[in-house]
Amino acid sequence: MSAPYGRHGHAGSGGAVALTVFVPPPRRWRLSDRQVGVLFMVPFILVAAAFILWPVLEAVRLAFYSKSPFRPTMTYVGLDNFRYLFGDPVFWAALRQAVVWTLSSTILQSILGVGLALLLHQAIRGINVFRGLLLFPYMVPTVVIALIWRWMFNPEFGIINATLLRFGVIEKNIYWFSEPTWAMASVILLNVWKFTPFVVICVLARLQMIPVDLYDAARVDGASAWQRFRDITLPQLKAVLSVVVVFRTIWTFNKFEEIYLLTRGGPGTSTFNLAVYGFEQATANLKLGVAAATGVVMLALLFTGSALYLRLIGRQEE
Amino acid sequence: MTYETRRRLRLVLLYTTLVTVTVVICFPLAWALVTSVKPNDEMLRLPPTFLPERLTADHYRALLTGRAMYFEAATGYRPKTAPPQHFLAWFFNSVVVSVGTTVISVGVSTLAAYSLTRFSFPGQRFFSYFSLMGYMVPSVIFVFPLFLLMARLGLTDRLPSLVLGYISITLPFCLWLMWAFFRGIPLEVEEAGLIDGASRLQVFWQIVLPLALPGIIATSIFSFVVSWNDYLIARIFMNSISQLPLTVGVMHFFEGVHVDWGLMMASAVLMTLPLSILFMLVQRHLIVGFGAGAVKG
Repeated sequence: MSAPYGRHGHAGSGGAVALTVFVPPPRRWRLSDRQVGVLFMVPFILVAAAFILWPVLEAVRLAFYSKSPFRPTMTYVGLDNFRYLFGDPVFWAALRQAVVWTLSSTILQSILGVGLALLLHQAIRGINVFRGLLLFPYMVPTVVIALIWRWMFNPEFGIINATLLRFGVIEKNIYWFSEPTWAMASVILLNVWKFTPFVVICVLARLQMIPVDLYDAARVDGASAWQRFRDITLPQLKAVLSVVVVFRTIWTFNKFEEIYLLTRGGPGTSTFNLAVYGFEQATANLKLGVAAATGVVMLALLFTGSALYLRLIGRQEE
Repeated sequence: MTYETRRRLRLVLLYTTLVTVTVVICFPLAWALVTSVKPNDEMLRLPPTFLPERLTADHYRALLTGRAMYFEAATGYRPKTAPPQHFLAWFFNSVVVSVGTTVISVGVSTLAAYSLTRFSFPGQRFFSYFSLMGYMVPSVIFVFPLFLLMARLGLTDRLPSLVLGYISITLPFCLWLMWAFFRGIPLEVEEAGLIDGASRLQVFWQIVLPLALPGIIATSIFSFVVSWNDYLIARIFMNSISQLPLTVGVMHFFEGVHVDWGLMMASAVLMTLPLSILFMLVQRHLIVGFGAGAVKG
C-alpha cells in the first residue's frame, strides 16, 4: 500500500517509525456535522411520530366517534361520548375513587419514602445490602405482586388473616376483595409497597448532596436532631420532593394494572379508577369512543392539575 | 452515659429498625418463595407453617416440563385449570419481546440524544417537552388506537406488535435518560478526536459510546424491566395462548375452577428471577440512572 498522505509512510508499515501519521479516510465516507445531526434524529422522529404522537392524536379523534373494536366502521357522533360519560354515575364514582386512590397512595409513599431514605442515608457498615433489598420492590412485575397479594390476602388460607386471627386483632376472616373499603385498602397497600422505593431513590440521591458542614454547624449551636431535620434537611429536600410528588401523582392517577390485576375494579365497580373505567368501556362494553373520551378527560385533568401546581410552586418561590 | 455507650446504643437501634423494615418489605417475596416449595397439603394448612416441613420441586417441575401429572399425585384429582404447558413459551416470548424493545428504543434514543446534545437546530425544546409529555400520557389512551393500527398492519397476535407497542412506553424515558447522560460527557473529549482527524461517526462510535456505556446500561435495564412487566398492551394485542408474554399468560392460571397457588407462586418466583439477577449485577448503574432523571413507573 502506498502512502500518499504522509512523508513517513503508513503508520503501521514503518516499523521503526514511532510517529503516528494520520491517514484521512476516503472523502466519500465523510458526512458533515449537519448531516450526522439530521441522520441521527430521523429514526427517533419516525418511530415517535408513528407510535406515540399518532396514537394520542388518533385517541382524541376517536373520542368524537362511535366505534366497535371488531367492526371497521366509525360513525361521527360529536360530543355524545362525553355526554354519555358525564351522565354515567359509574364515571363519577370512578373519578371519586381515583382521587382517593391517588391522594392516599402519594401521601403514604412520600412520608414512608422520606423516612426510609433518612434511614438508608446512615453511613454504617452493610448499608448497601439494606439499600439493595429495600429498593428491589420497584423492579418486581406488577403481575407478580398481584399474584402474591391475592395469595397473602386470601380469605381462607392467606397469611394476613391467619396472623390477624392468631393475635386476636380480628375474630373472623376478612374478605379483603369482597368489601369495597378493604379492597381499596389492599390496592393502595400494593401501590405503596411497590413505588415507595422510587421516592426513596430520589430523596436519597438528594440527601447525599447536602453539605455535611451544615449539620456540624447546627450541632455546635446545640440544635436537636428534630431541629436539624426541620431546619436543614426538609428545606433542602423541598425541590426534589415537589417534583417527585408531581410525578407520583400523575403516574398513580394513570395506573391501570395495579388495580385491575388485584381486584378487577371490584367488588362491583368500587375500586374503578378512570383508567380501569376506560378499559372496561373498551373491552366489556365495546365502546372505543367512550374509552377514548375517558382518556381525553384524564389528559385534561392532568394538564390542568400540573398547570395549577406549577403556578403554585412558582408563586411560593417568589 | 458515656459517648461510647451512646454511640453503641444508637447503632443497635439503627440496625434493629433497618432489619425490621427490611423484613416487613421483603416478606411478600420471601413468602412467595416459601409457598412455591411447599407441597399442596401443607400450603393449605391452618395456621400456615413459616418454614416448609417438606420441600418439593413439584410446582417448578410442572412449569418447566409442562406436565400436569403431579396434580393427581399431590391432590388426588385432576383440576380444571389449563395445564402449565405454555410456561416456557411465554417465558421465551417475554425475553424476545423485552430484548427487541430494549435494542430498538435504546438504539434510536441514543442516536437522537447524541444529536440533541451535540448539534443545535430549531425545535430542540420541542423534544424535551415531547418526552416529558410522554411521561404523562396514560397507556390506556394510546393502547386502543395502537391496536387498531396493528390490526390494519396485520400484526395483532404476533410478537412484533408487542415490540412496537412497548416502544411507545419506553421511548420517551429512554430519550430523557440518554439525553441526561450525553450532557454529562464533556465536548472536549470529542474535539480532541476531531482535531486528530477522526470523522464525526468515528468519534461517536469509538470515543463517545464507550463513555456513555454506563448510561446505556442503566437505560437498557429500565427499558427491559418496563417491557417485561407490561400487562395492558399484551392483554389487548394478543389472543392465542402460545403467543402470550409471561404477564398475561400467568394470569390465565386464575381462570379455572381450582386455583393452584403453588403453581402461581412458582411462576411469580421464576418471573422475578431474571430481574433479580439484572438488579444484582448492575445495582450501581441503576442508582446512576435514577440520579439522571425520573424513570416512569
